[in-house]
Amino acid sequence: MTVEASQTASATGVRFLGARKAYWRLLSRGAVLLMVTLGIYRFWLTTDVRRFLWANTEIAGESLEYNGTPVELLIGFLAAVAILIPVYAAFFLAALDLGTLGELSGLLGIALLGLAGQYAIFRARRYRLTRTVFRGLRFHQEGSAWLYAVRAVLWWTLTALTAGLAYPFQRASLERYKMRHTYYGDLAGRFAGAGWRLFLRGLPLWLLVMAPLALAIGTFAEVVDWQALADALSAESDDVMARIEQGNPGFAAVIVFAVLMAGTSVLLAVLLFPAYRAIAMRWWLSGLRFGGIEVYSRLSMLRVYGAFLRFVGLALLFSLALVIASGPALFVVGLLTGGGETSLAAEIAAAAVLLGGYVTAALGFSTLYRATVGYALWQLSMESLQVSGLTALDNVAAKGQPSSALGEGLADALHVSGY
Amino acid sequence: MSTTDLPTMTSGPGVFFDGRSSMRHDVHVRLEPSGLQVTDDAGRVLADWPYDEIDELNAPAHVLRLGRRNDPVLARLEVFDAPFAHEIDLLARHVDRTGAIHRRQRHAVIGWTIVATVALIAVSYWGVPAIADRLAPVVPLGVERRMGDAVNMQVRNQLDTHNAGAGFECGNGANETAGRAALDKVVKRLESAASLRLPLRSTVIRRPEANALALPGGQIYIFRGLIEKADNADEVAGVIAHEIGHVANRDGTKGVLQGAGLSFLFGMLLGDFVGGGAVVLAARTVLQSSYSREAESAADRYAAELMKKTQGDTRALATMLDKIGGATEPGMKILLDHPETKARIAAINRIAANGPTVPFLSPAEWAALKRICAG
Repeated sequence: MTVEASQTASATGVRFLGARKAYWRLLSRGAVLLMVTLGIYRFWLTTDVRRFLWANTEIAGESLEYNGTPVELLIGFLAAVAILIPVYAAFFLAALDLGTLGELSGLLGIALLGLAGQYAIFRARRYRLTRTVFRGLRFHQEGSAWLYAVRAVLWWTLTALTAGLAYPFQRASLERYKMRHTYYGDLAGRFAGAGWRLFLRGLPLWLLVMAPLALAIGTFAEVVDWQALADALSAESDDVMARIEQGNPGFAAVIVFAVLMAGTSVLLAVLLFPAYRAIAMRWWLSGLRFGGIEVYSRLSMLRVYGAFLRFVGLALLFSLALVIASGPALFVVGLLTGGGETSLAAEIAAAAVLLGGYVTAALGFSTLYRATVGYALWQLSMESLQVSGLTALDNVAAKGQPSSALGEGLADALHVSGY
Repeated sequence: MSTTDLPTMTSGPGVFFDGRSSMRHDVHVRLEPSGLQVTDDAGRVLADWPYDEIDELNAPAHVLRLGRRNDPVLARLEVFDAPFAHEIDLLARHVDRTGAIHRRQRHAVIGWTIVATVALIAVSYWGVPAIADRLAPVVPLGVERRMGDAVNMQVRNQLDTHNAGAGFECGNGANETAGRAALDKVVKRLESAASLRLPLRSTVIRRPEANALALPGGQIYIFRGLIEKADNADEVAGVIAHEIGHVANRDGTKGVLQGAGLSFLFGMLLGDFVGGGAVVLAARTVLQSSYSREAESAADRYAAELMKKTQGDTRALATMLDKIGGATEPGMKILLDHPETKARIAAINRIAANGPTVPFLSPAEWAALKRICAG
């Protein structure tokens, strides 16, 4: 056999072949086209990004293939719009109703949209899996999307009620459901990660972020005389602050302390976010199983921090460029709107300049994030993998049919889409 | 095809997956005149694909991955040798290593999106108000009333601040009934000339601002501050005539319809990208301000005609606007929901007749109206 073929045949494990430059080019061109097409280009950009990431990910010498098309995504989106418009219209009409239905329609709407969002996430995953081909066989996903949605909404409620402590168990439960219904050909997947492992790893981070908040709330409860505060707020007079101060001598100091502590919490959350991403990613990857194939990840937290630092550095440079560019732009706006009488057209032009600046900034930062953190997380994850039991790959049979892109469309219309 | 155009390489190595099992086959690929033939070491033919049915598939840069078009079985052939891959590219017309097909599609997307954007802006500027104008008159009265009740509840929640000892509405106290009668007299004279399809309900409310509101379903709120600022009954009548204009033109219903139309056009179809929310919000705000300016001008014209018809002092509305609006409005013009005061005054005065006018109230009645919130 030829040299190339035997080389790839001998390769085992997972490799990432992508060139960072090509990804940058793809994303920056995509950002410009998103702006020009008012967002319609997103179906093409999403497809390009997936084609790049899939094709450059090689498992046991064979790269993945993404065979979804932008037009499928566009059709899925239009189908989702067709479904959602009557729903939105119904809520609009229900809100006009005066009875209990009208009052409840807001709450009901939020609950229904939450459910639909989770449904969309599961269906979108099905679409992505059935568009992923490896060694001539596609992946597929079974299971009920509605059942998943109900589970997910209940778990999210529990997570919210426990201030995030239930989150690891939620992740584990939902991943088990997803992987249990995931197949490569006829090779069934499962998820072996345990919720309590993620819980133990994440607990120190949770404590660090929550401690200042708890301190602030504790001090509040300790120092503030609630009866006096309630009296001060209910009495009718202009100078509420003065009366609050009268009933609670230390009130101002407590407020300052609480704000400082909340600030500390936010700062810690930002600083610890990369650590959390690394821990959760490593845990998730190490739990993936397909038949006899087992995956183990040694994702380096340090390198994840490196990726985030790169983003911060580039974001600062981009901000500087924005500040420099905003000089002439603001000058133009000033010329257009300054000086007494201005025409409507000049105002529209000035508003367009300001809006263009805002969109450029928002798209720029999001593109930088995807090109640094998004790219690095994919690359580092793939390179961190050790795979065992790859001999199982030699005898998998084809199974499963392609699914529609409706889930992707719904996820898009409901703003819950991922990769 | 002449002999010089014949491929220089007619066979090469490849890797084949038959699409039924994940088994990997090292194969030999031959370029036959009719198509591409794949054989294994034992010489068995694994695939025979006509060139026109070959598709190029997603793969890393150094691999040419091929499949058969529209085949539910995902058989795959991979060629690693670059010159040989080039030969296949020349023979199979759907294989597009230069990306020309992709580029053409991208250009079509950009072109059509720009056309669609222009269409969208045109529809939202001219189409949405035109549709709302046609739809509003056919909305049944019952629906308009219910809509008005829903809006009324929201408006009252916003305006009723509860901190004053007296009630929110004026004209109910024992010493306010004379004022209430005076107000009814003004409204009745205007209403009988207006011939509306539903009865008006007008109420003076305890709010310090010089303002008035018309809701769908015929409810009109006159703020106490407006009566305090007015120097005669015709000035109040002018403002009420303006609000009757909103009722007659069904501007409340139109506003609801326009808002729904814009939400549909912008919120659903466009703008799902980072920063897109701001574009949508800005476009909606500017467009709704522009619809509202139109509606205000129309209500002014209606008020001027109605005042003329009832032999009231048409110019009184202009005088009142001058008092309320002041000389210049702060902020950008595109965000104003009223036309500029100067332009409004000029437009009203153009309609005003020069004949004699009959005052809406006698001095005693006017004095009573001034005290409608006395209680």
